[in-house]
Amino acid sequence: MTSTLKPDPSMIGGIAKVPLARLPDPRVLFLTRAQRLGFLAQHSANLAAYLRFLSELCEAQARLVRALPAPAALSQDQLQAARANRMPPMDRAALRAELTAAIDLLPGLLAGVEMPEPARLGLAALAAAEASDRDWVIGNVLADTIPDDSAAPHLFAALALQVVASRHAALLHVEQLVAIAPGLCPACGGRHASSLVTENIGAEGARYCACATCQTLWNEVRVKCTCCGSTKGITYRSVETDEATVKAECCRECGHWVKILYQNKNPSLEPIADDVASLGLDLMMRDSEWRRGGYNPFLAGY
Amino acid sequence: MNIDLSRRGFLKLAGAGVAATSLGALGFGDAEAAEKAHVRAFKLASTTETRNTCTYCSVACGILIYSKGDVAAGEQATIVHIEGDADHPTNRGTLCPKGAALKDIVHSESRLTTPRIRRPGTDRFDEISWDEALDKIARALKDDRDANIVLKNDAGVPVNRWTSTGFLAASATTNETAWLTYKTVRAMGIAGLDNQARV
Repeated sequence: MTSTLKPDPSMIGGIAKVPLARLPDPRVLFLTRAQRLGFLAQHSANLAAYLRFLSELCEAQARLVRALPAPAALSQDQLQAARANRMPPMDRAALRAELTAAIDLLPGLLAGVEMPEPARLGLAALAAAEASDRDWVIGNVLADTIPDDSAAPHLFAALALQVVASRHAALLHVEQLVAIAPGLCPACGGRHASSLVTENIGAEGARYCACATCQTLWNEVRVKCTCCGSTKGITYRSVETDEATVKAECCRECGHWVKILYQNKNPSLEPIADDVASLGLDLMMRDSEWRRGGYNPFLAGY
Repeated sequence: MNIDLSRRGFLKLAGAGVAATSLGALGFGDAEAAEKAHVRAFKLASTTETRNTCTYCSVACGILIYSKGDVAAGEQATIVHIEGDADHPTNRGTLCPKGAALKDIVHSESRLTTPRIRRPGTDRFDEISWDEALDKIARALKDDRDANIVLKNDAGVPVNRWTSTGFLAASATTNETAWLTYKTVRAMGIAGLDNQARV
């Protein structure tokens, strides 16, 4: 029997094109985050109280995922229009009504959570706010903005938005998305909290940015500023040791820095939880020439 | 700082109105202060990651070079690790055993870092400067070319052929470098030109 040998480079193992994005699974994501925050609280004497509080907030987010009615998927027309114009398919302004409903559920879901007085006040103020004030808060979190003077009520609104947006993102398919611009989530157009160097099969050593809002992970080239896209003058800073698994990726072109988490060295790293737990790096970077570029409602004001 | 004065009533209700971080605004100012005091004793370590091309063969795999220190900030940098560049279309993060051992080549004690010459009649190599080495190479090329260049063939047609010297070019070059190499070598009349990128 004779057979013709034909070259098939796709059979060479491990050389796969990495997917543009990884969409969130809200049913698992917030519980995983809560667990990670709980674990980190045991290992950080200084931040334990805050991390434990955030862990309980994430558990409440998981309950909110189950409490909200299933969102409607986007139509093919909307998806194609977004693709054709290189826009994120998710329309944030259209999330207002769902977000309002989610905020209404928060006080009930958080009733059993112990919190300091200022946090309790912030939550109560958000729940009791007049329509115009609430619209203002919602408008701010939809624009990934947290005013310096009212982080507490905005944090609770941002929590609800994370749940609402991630449930919409979960309905998308990766092949419907297109890369938009450096530092912009291809699903919701939002900003990232941090980025991760992953070690999953097929994406060894690839970097993904973690959207702070819809929780989508999207691929971004390494050694490149995730705020402005420059590859010039990128340098890394870490606390005390050069072998740290959380570093600040600094850009000399735009003057921003964003945390990069080396999941290939520690697979447990979680883009939001470990962003908060590595607050020490933020505190040290405050004295540097760079400004924080990552957006995380749990770390507003840095 | 952005404070919206029209929201005064809401902010008062929220117990807010003073610029604070999330920790301060939620009542965890003590935790923030404790962490701040804790990190005061620490220093920031600087590291660099640099893209480059593997030096070995014509595949030209992308590599990421990790080093301690930041040269742009006026520090000394030492290479601590080299791995495949996951973003490079050729190798997508993979490396062959030779490429995976690149760091050991960089730090190898027997690595050739300066030009050396084995002079006639000796049994060892001596270090010489780049200027001296390039002068010697240029002299040898010129002498050989003057002695052996074929200006015209048997029929009297100008050919400017130099067959007694060959040239092997490197693989880790850009298109522009390869073009310049070709033009330079052919302009001298060298007929035997080959490139590692073909191997």
